[in-house]
Amino acid sequence: MSQHPDYTKWQALAEKQMKGKSIDTLNWNTPEGITVKPLYTAEDVAGLDSVNTLPGMAPYVRGPMATMYAGRPWTIRQYAGFSTAKESNAFYHKALAAGQKGLSVAFDLATHRGYDSDHPRVAGDIGKAGVAIDSVEDMKILFDGIPLDKMSVSMTMNGAVIPILAGYIVAAEEQGVSHDQLSGTIQNDILKEYLTRNTYIYPPTPSMRIISDIMSFCSKNMPKYNTISISGYHMMEAGANSVLQTAFTLADGVEYVKAAIKSGMDVDEFAPRLSFFFGIGMNFFMDIAMLRAARFLWHRLMSQFNPKNVKSSMLRTHCQTSGWSLTEQDPYNNVIRTTLEAMSAVLGGTQSLHTNSFDEAIGLPTDFSARIARNTQIIIQEESQVCNVIDPLGGSYYIEALTKEIIDEAQKIIDEIESLGGMAKAIESGMPKMRIEESAARKQARIDQGSDVIVGVNKYKLADETIDFEVREVPATVRDEQIARIEQIKASRDKDLVAKALADLTEAAKNGGNLLEAALPAVRARATVGEISDAMESVFGRFVATTRCISGAYSSECEAKPDVINAIKQRTTKFLESQGRRPRLLVTKMGQDGHDRGFKVVASAYADLGFDVDISPMFQTPAEAAKMAIENDVHVVGASSLAAGHKSLIPALIEELKKLGGQEIIVVAGGVIPPVDYDFLFEAGVAAVFGPGTPIPDSADRTLSLLEKKYLS
Amino acid sequence: MFTSATDYVSGILAGDRRTLARTITLIESVLPAHQELARKIVDQLLPHTGKSVRIGITGVPGAGKSTYIESFGTMLTEKGHRVAVLAIDPSSTRSGGSILGDKTRMEKLAVNDRAFIRPSPSSGTLGGVGRKTRETMLACEAAGYDVVIIETVGVGQSETTVASMVDFFLVLMIAGAGDELQGIKKGVLEVADAIVINKADGDNINRAKMARREYEAALHMLMPASANWSPPVLTCSSLFSEGIETIWETILDHKQRFIKSGEFDVKRREQALEWMHFLLEDGLRTWFYTNPEVAQLLPGLKKDIAQLKISPTAAADRLLALLKR
Repeated sequence: MSQHPDYTKWQALAEKQMKGKSIDTLNWNTPEGITVKPLYTAEDVAGLDSVNTLPGMAPYVRGPMATMYAGRPWTIRQYAGFSTAKESNAFYHKALAAGQKGLSVAFDLATHRGYDSDHPRVAGDIGKAGVAIDSVEDMKILFDGIPLDKMSVSMTMNGAVIPILAGYIVAAEEQGVSHDQLSGTIQNDILKEYLTRNTYIYPPTPSMRIISDIMSFCSKNMPKYNTISISGYHMMEAGANSVLQTAFTLADGVEYVKAAIKSGMDVDEFAPRLSFFFGIGMNFFMDIAMLRAARFLWHRLMSQFNPKNVKSSMLRTHCQTSGWSLTEQDPYNNVIRTTLEAMSAVLGGTQSLHTNSFDEAIGLPTDFSARIARNTQIIIQEESQVCNVIDPLGGSYYIEALTKEIIDEAQKIIDEIESLGGMAKAIESGMPKMRIEESAARKQARIDQGSDVIVGVNKYKLADETIDFEVREVPATVRDEQIARIEQIKASRDKDLVAKALADLTEAAKNGGNLLEAALPAVRARATVGEISDAMESVFGRFVATTRCISGAYSSECEAKPDVINAIKQRTTKFLESQGRRPRLLVTKMGQDGHDRGFKVVASAYADLGFDVDISPMFQTPAEAAKMAIENDVHVVGASSLAAGHKSLIPALIEELKKLGGQEIIVVAGGVIPPVDYDFLFEAGVAAVFGPGTPIPDSADRTLSLLEKKYLS
Repeated sequence: MFTSATDYVSGILAGDRRTLARTITLIESVLPAHQELARKIVDQLLPHTGKSVRIGITGVPGAGKSTYIESFGTMLTEKGHRVAVLAIDPSSTRSGGSILGDKTRMEKLAVNDRAFIRPSPSSGTLGGVGRKTRETMLACEAAGYDVVIIETVGVGQSETTVASMVDFFLVLMIAGAGDELQGIKKGVLEVADAIVINKADGDNINRAKMARREYEAALHMLMPASANWSPPVLTCSSLFSEGIETIWETILDHKQRFIKSGEFDVKRREQALEWMHFLLEDGLRTWFYTNPEVAQLLPGLKKDIAQLKISPTAAADRLLALLKR
C-alpha cells in the first residue's frame, strides 16, 4: 500500500514526541484480531470497493434507505415485558404515550420453552424475565387497547414460535384485524439458540422446518410481516467479538435462505422480509464499522441466490445496546454507556433501536429507568441534530479502513463455515460455540487483570455502593394468577374441539402440512401454549444440548499478570495437601434460564485456578442440582442466575441439599441479583453472592476463603 | 460427618447416596489417613460385593461415550436395574484442576433415582486410576447397584487397567474420518469383548456399516481370548436409542456362556489375584521409597551413577540389600 507523501515526516515528528519509541507501539490489537493504527490517511482506503458508494443502493454500506434518518429517523423500539399480560399491557400504554413508536414483547422463559405456567419444571420462572403467556386469552389482554392493524409488534420468540405467532394472529382476528394488515417481526432465529441462549424446544431439523413453514405462511398471508430476525445480539452478549458476531449472524442468514429455497420458495418471496438484529457494545468505532460491513457482506452473500428484487439483498437491522456492558456497581454510569452504544448504532445506520435501562444489571426496568432509556434515543433524534446527514462517517479514513477489515475477517470465517457444509453443520461440529466461548473467556481475563477498563468495576471503584432508586420486583403471585386462568380456560372450552385440533396439529407434524396454519384452529379453540408445543413435541422430541467447555483460554490471557492467579493456585494446592483433594465446585443453572456464558466462563477459569469443577446440565430443578452435588460430593455449589429466579430456586436448592444430608455444602450465587435481595439470600443460607462484573479472581478468592475457614482452620 | 468405618458401611448398605459419595471421596483422597479408613470400609463391604454386571466402556474422544451411557443406562433403569457410572475424566489443565462435564451429556440418567454417576478427575491423584476405580466399584456394588459402568477415554493406559477389573469390555467407535483404526491402540482391541460403532443414524448409516465390516476384518486377525467368545462388531445410535437393546443382550449372552463354561468365576478369581499383585507391587514400591535408610542412601547413589562412580546394577543391589536386613 502506498503512503501519504509526508508520512515519514509525520512519523519522525511523532516518534520524537514519544521520546524515540517506535510509532508501532501505538498500534492496538483488537479482540477481533485487527491491528488498529494510530493514524489513517487517504492511502488506507484508496481503491476500496466499499468506499464512496451511495445509500439505498448496492452494496448498501451507507445504509439500506436512500434518505436514511434525513428522511425519517430510526424506530424507537423498546423491548419490554414482565409479570402478567395485564401489567405488561399497562407498561406498553405508558411507553407509547411517552414517544415510543413500536412494541417489542419479552416473554418469560417458561413460554419460550413451551411450558404452561402450571408445569412443575418452571415454578421459578413465571413472569420473571418477560411476560407469562399461556393462551390466546393472555395474548388478548397483552394487546388490549393496542390496534394491531396500526402498531408494528416485534416478538422475541424462537422456541415456542408456533403457538405464540398463532396466538398473535388469533388475538388480531378477534380484534377484527385481518392477517394481511399485521406488521412487525418475530425473532424466529433458532440457529443462534443452539449457539448461545438455549431457548429452543425441538432438535434443529424440525426447528428449521418450522421456520420455513412460517416464512411460507406469512409470504402468502402477512406480506408486511418480518418472518425472522437473524440475531447476533445474543452472540455478542455471550462474549463474541464484532467479527464473530458479523460472521455467525450472516452465516445463519444464509442457512435460512437455503432452507427456504429448499422448501420450494423463490428467493424474492421471502428474502425482502428477512431482518437482522445486532448487539452494539462499548467498542465505539468498531461497531459502527460492523454494521456497515454487515450490509456490504449480506449483499455479496445474497448474490449467489440471484435475487431479482433489490430488497432481497438489502440488510435491514434492529440494534440493541449491550446488556452485558452494564454494571451493577455505580449503576448511573450505565446511562453514559448506553448513550455511547446508541450513538454507535445510529452512526452505523440501524433501522430501529432498543436502549437498555441503567438498572438492568440489578433488576427489571422501572417506569423511571425505562423513561431515561427511551429519552436517550429521543434526545439523540430531536436535540443533537445527528439525523440531518446520511452516514456522516462515510469517507472517514479510519471508519472505511475498519469497515474493510471487518468485511475481510468475517468473510474468512464465513468461508470456513461454508467449507464445513454451512452453519447448521458448523453448529453440529461445535465450532462457532467454541469460538464464542474462547472469545468470552479471553474478554473476562482482560477485564479481571484490568487491561479492559470498566469504570466502577476494575477501576475508580466506589468505596460505598448504595442504591437510591426503586428496584422492580415481580410479585410471587403471578404464577398463581396464571394457573387460575389456565384452569378457568380449561373448564370453559370445548374439550372435543381442542382434542381434535391438537390431534390435527400432531398429524401435520408427522406427515407434513403447514404447522402455523395447523396451529390456528387449536389456538382459536383455546388450546394452551404448552398443549400446542406438546402436540408437536410428541413427534419431534425435545432437544438436549451438550455442554462443552474450553480450558486454558482464561489463564493464557492472564499470563501478563500472573501474581493473583498464582496466589490462588497455591491456595488450591494447599487445600489439596490438607484435604486429600482439590476444592470441588459444582456450577449449576436452575430454571429455564439458558444464558450459559457466565457459568461456562466461571467453570473454565476455576479449573485454570486449580479447582475441580463439575458442570450440571442446563435447565435443572433444585432437586436435580442437589442430587448431583451430593453424588459428586462437592464442597461448594455455585448457582448462576440471570433471569430473576434466584429468590425461589436458590433457597429451594439449599432445602434439597439438606434433605439429602448435604447441609455442610456451601452454596454461593452469581449473576444478575439485585443487592436488595442479598440479605434474603444470606438468610436462606447462601454464603456469598457475586454480582455482575465480579472479577473471577475475587469470587475465587472469597470462595476459597469460605472453604479455608471451614476446612483448614 | 461420622468417622468410624462401621458408620460408613451401614450407610452404604442402607443405600444412602451421600454416604456412598463420601466413601468414594475417601477412596480417591491422597491423604494416608483417608486411604486407611477407605481400606477398612471396603474390607467390611467385601461380603456384599461381586453381584453386579461390570462393564468397561472406552472410545476415542468424540465417539459419543457419554451419550451412549445416557441411552444405555436409561434403558437399564427402565428394566429395573440400578446403574452406577464411574467416569474417569482426563480433562485436567496445567493448573491441576479439571472440568468434569460428563453429566451434561447424561441429562436424563443424571437425574434418575435408580442411577448414581460419579465423574472423577484422573489428575493429581496417587496410585493411578486402577486402585480408586476398583474400590469405588466395590462400594457401588455394596450399595445395591447391579450394573456398574466404568467409562474411560481410549487414549492412554487406563483402559487395560479397566479391562482387568470388568466382566465385559466394550470399545465404542465412530465411522468416518479416514483411517478407521487410527487413534485406537491394537492393545485395546485385544481386550475388547465387543466393538460398537456409534452414531449409526441419518446419513451416517452406510459409513457405519462399512466401518463395521472393516473392524470385523481387523478382529478376525486377532486371536480371541476365549474359545467361547469371538467379539462381535455391532452398530447403534445413542441419539435414537437404536441397537442399545442388542448390546445389553450381547453382554448377558456373554455372561451366560462364561458362567456355563466356568470362565466367569475363573476370570473374576484371576482378576482378584491380579489385583492382589497390583496392590503388592504398589505397596512394595511405596514401602521401599518411604524407608528412611533408602531415602538417605538414594540421592548419593543417583549422583554416583551420573558421575559413573557406580554401575546401576551395583547401586540397585546396595539398595535392595538394605531391605533384606
